[in-house]
Amino acid sequence: MRLRRHFDHDDSTGIDLAPMLDFVLNLLIFFIITAVFVKELGLPVGRHGGGASGAATGKEAGSISVIVKDDGEVLVDSRVVDVRAVRANIERLHAQKPEWGVMVTAEQDATADLLVQVIDQIREGGVDNISFGTSSS
Amino acid sequence: MRSQHHTSHGDETGIDLAPMLDFVLNLLIFFIITTSFVREAGVTVSRPLASTALFGGDKANILIAIRPNGEIWMDRRQVDLREVRPLVERLHIERPDDTVIVIADKAAKTGLLAQVMDEVKLGGIQSVAIGAGSTGGE
Repeated sequence: MRLRRHFDHDDSTGIDLAPMLDFVLNLLIFFIITAVFVKELGLPVGRHGGGASGAATGKEAGSISVIVKDDGEVLVDSRVVDVRAVRANIERLHAQKPEWGVMVTAEQDATADLLVQVIDQIREGGVDNISFGTSSS
Repeated sequence: MRSQHHTSHGDETGIDLAPMLDFVLNLLIFFIITTSFVREAGVTVSRPLASTALFGGDKANILIAIRPNGEIWMDRRQVDLREVRPLVERLHIERPDDTVIVIADKAAKTGLLAQVMDEVKLGGIQSVAIGAGSTGGE
């Protein structure tokens, strides 16, 4: 692949680019193959210290308390609600106290699926300041 | 890529490789820059779905997976809960702007999820998110 530019009497003294081109092409193929296009989705939440008195401390700190029990019950502000009704409840409470965050306290054995559903509903209800802790049942 | 072999009297008619070389170099630089070194968890978990999940961005590149039976996977191997903190500390020193996504299986327990998140925070990374899949609409 060596191109001779001046082809009359003397030798060519230009730098031969072909090995460099080969090397660069190999590098290019390596980086194309190893490129990982990961699109990982997540729900950003904070943590608050767990403890049995999660609801009580939640009210003192100025936040809406949501409790996820290990049998699948969800309590918003000490009232049992359906998972799909969390959003409406949070919207109502958020309208009353716009500066409050939400503390989600889950029991140890509650499933992550339910927890994520509840956090998702809270975020749909317009609150982004969510912290998450656990309590022993 | 036809090179002129008979160098007798006519003009040189070989293809000029320089524009191709420029283009390939640009491609190479693009791929080098956009390569993000994601620490994958190494297992597949059925992640819970959420409609408000955010794209973690380029920085969300330490993934920790929790399986339904309580196994914790990180950096393509199974680790103990007590190993999470030193591993996160080491990765945090290597790349200080990394963030963590903890991907818990649908059936995993929140107690373990909270413990893992605590270990990550003790390891020095404060930005932790719970992994979720996007629902069909988005």
